Amino acid sequence: MVPTNIKNFDTLVVGGGIAGLQAALDLGDQGYKVAIVEKDASIGGKMIRLSKVFPTLDCASCITTPKMSAASHHENITLFTYCDLTSLNHEGQGIKALITQKPRYVDPIKCIGCRQCEYICPVHVSDAEQGDFSARKAISIPFSTAIPQLPILDVEHCMLCGQCEKTCPTHAIDYFQKPEEFIIQAKTAVITTGFDLLPVKNNFQYGNGHIPNVIDSMQMERILAPHGPYNRVLRPSDGMEPDSIAYVQCAGSRDKSMGVPYCSRVCCMYAIKQAMLLSGSLPLADIIIYYMDIRAFGKGYEQFYQNAKAMGIEFVKAKVARIDKGENGSAIVRYENQDGSGIATADHDLVVLSMGMIPGWDPRSICPVSKDSDQFITSIKPKISPVLTNMAGLFVAGVAAGPKDIVDTITESGSAAMEAAKFMSNSHMEN
Amino acid sequence: MKNPDNDKEKEAKKAAMKTLRAQRKDLIASASSRMKTQKKDIKAIKEFLKGKKATIPDIAEGIDMPKDETLWYIATMKKYGQIVEAEKEGAFFNYSLNEPEKTQEKEEV
Amino acid sequence: MSENNKKVGVYICYCGGNISDHVDVEEVRNRVEKMPGVTVARTNMFMCSDPGQEMIIEDLKSDKIDRVVVASCAPSLHEATFRGAIERAGSNPFIYDHANIREQVSWVHHGETATDKATLLIAAASAKSKLLKPLEPIRVEAKKHTTVIGGGIAGIKTALDIAQKGIEVALIEKLPILGGRLNSLDRLAPFGEKASDILKELLDPVLNHNAITIHTDSKIETIKGYVGNFSLIVTKKENNKDIKLNIETGAIVMATGSVSYTPLNGEFGFGQHEQVITLQDLITLLKENKSSGSSLEVNGKRIKNMVMIHCVGSRQIPGIHQPKENGQLNEYCSRTCCAALLNAANQIREKFPETGIYEMYRDIRTYGRGQEELYEQASKNKVVFMRYEADAPPVVSESNHSEYPLKVKITDSLTFNEVMDVPADLVVLATGIEPDNVSDIASMMKLPIGTDQFLLEVHPKLRPVEFSITGIFLGGTCQAPMDTGETCNAAGAAAVKASALLSKGYIELDPFVAEVNTDKCQGHGACIEACLKEGALTLTEVKIDGKIVKKAQVTAAMCLGCGACAAVCPKKAIDINGWALKQYEDMVDAIVSDGFAV
Repeated sequence: MVPTNIKNFDTLVVGGGIAGLQAALDLGDQGYKVAIVEKDASIGGKMIRLSKVFPTLDCASCITTPKMSAASHHENITLFTYCDLTSLNHEGQGIKALITQKPRYVDPIKCIGCRQCEYICPVHVSDAEQGDFSARKAISIPFSTAIPQLPILDVEHCMLCGQCEKTCPTHAIDYFQKPEEFIIQAKTAVITTGFDLLPVKNNFQYGNGHIPNVIDSMQMERILAPHGPYNRVLRPSDGMEPDSIAYVQCAGSRDKSMGVPYCSRVCCMYAIKQAMLLSGSLPLADIIIYYMDIRAFGKGYEQFYQNAKAMGIEFVKAKVARIDKGENGSAIVRYENQDGSGIATADHDLVVLSMGMIPGWDPRSICPVSKDSDQFITSIKPKISPVLTNMAGLFVAGVAAGPKDIVDTITESGSAAMEAAKFMSNSHMEN
Repeated sequence: MKNPDNDKEKEAKKAAMKTLRAQRKDLIASASSRMKTQKKDIKAIKEFLKGKKATIPDIAEGIDMPKDETLWYIATMKKYGQIVEAEKEGAFFNYSLNEPEKTQEKEEV
Repeated sequence: MSENNKKVGVYICYCGGNISDHVDVEEVRNRVEKMPGVTVARTNMFMCSDPGQEMIIEDLKSDKIDRVVVASCAPSLHEATFRGAIERAGSNPFIYDHANIREQVSWVHHGETATDKATLLIAAASAKSKLLKPLEPIRVEAKKHTTVIGGGIAGIKTALDIAQKGIEVALIEKLPILGGRLNSLDRLAPFGEKASDILKELLDPVLNHNAITIHTDSKIETIKGYVGNFSLIVTKKENNKDIKLNIETGAIVMATGSVSYTPLNGEFGFGQHEQVITLQDLITLLKENKSSGSSLEVNGKRIKNMVMIHCVGSRQIPGIHQPKENGQLNEYCSRTCCAALLNAANQIREKFPETGIYEMYRDIRTYGRGQEELYEQASKNKVVFMRYEADAPPVVSESNHSEYPLKVKITDSLTFNEVMDVPADLVVLATGIEPDNVSDIASMMKLPIGTDQFLLEVHPKLRPVEFSITGIFLGGTCQAPMDTGETCNAAGAAAVKASALLSKGYIELDPFVAEVNTDKCQGHGACIEACLKEGALTLTEVKIDGKIVKKAQVTAAMCLGCGACAAVCPKKAIDINGWALKQYEDMVDAIVSDGFAV
């Protein structure tokens, strides 16, 4: 069935993380009508889930929430959250996207975001938003700063007890909501689909995620975040305050056998940042970073790295070969010293794997835009305009075009917005 | 005042819910059993903490639950305002039940 | 209008712990609630989030409050955010005041001092807020014209982007030709495009674009005015004559680029041995080299062994590295040299297999797309890597050996800190990037320069291509080291901001400017003498009751809102909107009364 509901915009932005928000704001500010389509229940992407950001140590929310808020209230920007992109193709002069609004089982117009449904719901579900370190309810708002402030009813874990429906003061619960398909037609599109962390579960060297207190860097972000699961730094196996914390750099990056051959570009800096935050909250803890090369190349980054060294964070040039389960919740890190002195082992209370970045979206069978061997979208002009793809009128920004940090992402998004705006004024002149 | 249309609507809704429940039978069954276990676990934690404070290893031992699971519950109950953190003891923190007047099904802050 | 019947709402932010870790936010709220005129006092984990803003909107809409004070981070970050929220509630955005309890409190004080100071700052802000008047922003016409300073790749790209949006551009370059540093490069890392091809692809449309006026060989003499209406005087050399140009423009983009670091005399033997050259020298050499044998030849001499030293003039550490004459140390990483050096090494190894290469590095930073492959390729090409620590750099000296002129002593941390003497026919220093010296232009516009000497943006994430002075932007290597692709992205980002700014044809400015009470003004003229901004204040003659009298008059768009006029007026006839003398008095009263902090 072809949906008859067609919405027209100047630009379709695919992905509502920091890259998409910035591109949308830069286009909206020029008067273009923009649609942001986001797969998650909230905009904000990975950035809103972080603790603080390097090298300024601003809280991530302090920078993200205003941009989220600005986009959601912008007269030229419309948000479509909790939506799947089914297809994205050229049509005529522009672009046509088929989109499915997934059911929240909550009426977005009636709901006032009071969270009464969440408080009354009796089913607890492990909360991926909190690194699975605590639980949410089967109906819940994804996180406190989410936009929109609408709960999602998780059908997988709902027992249809009806308590949320009874409690809701505005009768917003709708157990019968169905997916709705619609079409967005636009003159241009910007792909800002970001990244996922390489999953630990495929890395047998690091225990496939089964060794207690070996966590990934995104889980550490949650532990350090203001709304985190523990509101302090504890290790997940038993609630102990860790005394010795290790970072394993290039976990799954720069290593074909373990995952990805390329450098993920942000891991050195986020590990240093996390180490600094940890040494702030646990001043007596030993913090060790096992690394191959420290890549602190951005503005102010090298100074940040030198500060971390001065704070007493230990940097050991070594490649971690494997991690094993130790006694009493510790993890044993086995590493090869890069000075040629051979294999050594060390016991740590908590080990953080600086996992690399992989693309957050695969265009295969959805969109004919081409990917590179690294699986990120191909930039056809990496020098004069890295945001250009092989599809006319379709641009890419942020990690969708290869790993990069927030600063570079925001700049690239501005650049993509500029290219999209130029494309539209040029085609306007031709018409 | 009785509205026959309203009644009819209610009947229809009831029937639709019944169909939906039938469709989701398996999911509902597993969610219900999970909920029951959770209820039991939370009750055990609350009972253990009645009138005292304890660390994660203490609670875990006291109610015979794995320590990581205990922490998961405590973190969740803290989030929903049923438990508060108390002072530190060695490398662990103590937890106690939230005072009754403050107990609200509400996320802190 | 009385200040006594105002209903002040105070909103205090936890800032996710940034504030609440040091300030007892709930205690502050309890105290603030009792302050005179405060009808509502609330807290939130992130006041700038949507739920936080929604609290303010609700209170305004339900008429609980008519003045808003937010106590959070510096107003430079989120003043606009909260004004926007107030506007959405249907209120005038200028009934808002801000207490900075993060940068000025929680980041510098701890414990009770912090809680007390936060209370005082909020007391002052709410006292001030009661005298805030609803104001209208000042609307000024904006010229649909941008001036781009710097004709390197950043300036060229910015100019082209803006022009293609239908805005006129003046592109100003001090040298006789456009292209900047790309003119001296050859094959670009990591993909090997020819720099000249890249330049041509952008330059052709720039040279042919009707909306772009190019001024090469031009020097900026003065910059005056304000957003939407800047005016520049430029001296342009034409046929050996200096001609003066006057450019009227709406926005300015700084794209003044960078230069290559020049090693100090004796730094790694530079200036002492002719066989020690910079990476830039090597690139020029490769560009012009016609060697056809299996070894690279330089000045007719076969290069059997070449040593490349990374991080020269970059990543310098106080106490270890020698500063330049002006005391400057380049503590930053120059970002581009690792890939550029590996690129050159690969070219040499692949073309001249008999020329051996040793790379001496601290960390290999091949972070970008396609760069890790360069590093891998270099290993395959049998480039030998040796690693040194910052405090034990390689030492270049004469070899006293007939086969090769130099030797480089290194303590190699990849092999048990073994000390080795590496023979060298040529030593290449990977010299980093330094910003071009634009202190004269920067001081004309009062642009901030960072401790690293690069131009300093407002905020690296919130406003990465803007200066705090509205209407002036920056892009490219004047801001930080970047490669060509990154520079073009930065240029695009600066262009999009300039386009958005000028797209409406007018610009709205904050109305915090001087206002004359014409009843009180005696035409004394002291204010005009005190005024810091030429043209912002004038004495005009008006007819009152048949008599011609002089009155001070403000040109709002020019006024800086500095208050120099208010300070000197003997009749207190001139004051600053939003920052009136009475407001200062009330703030001081609120602080010294000290009744709240105990």
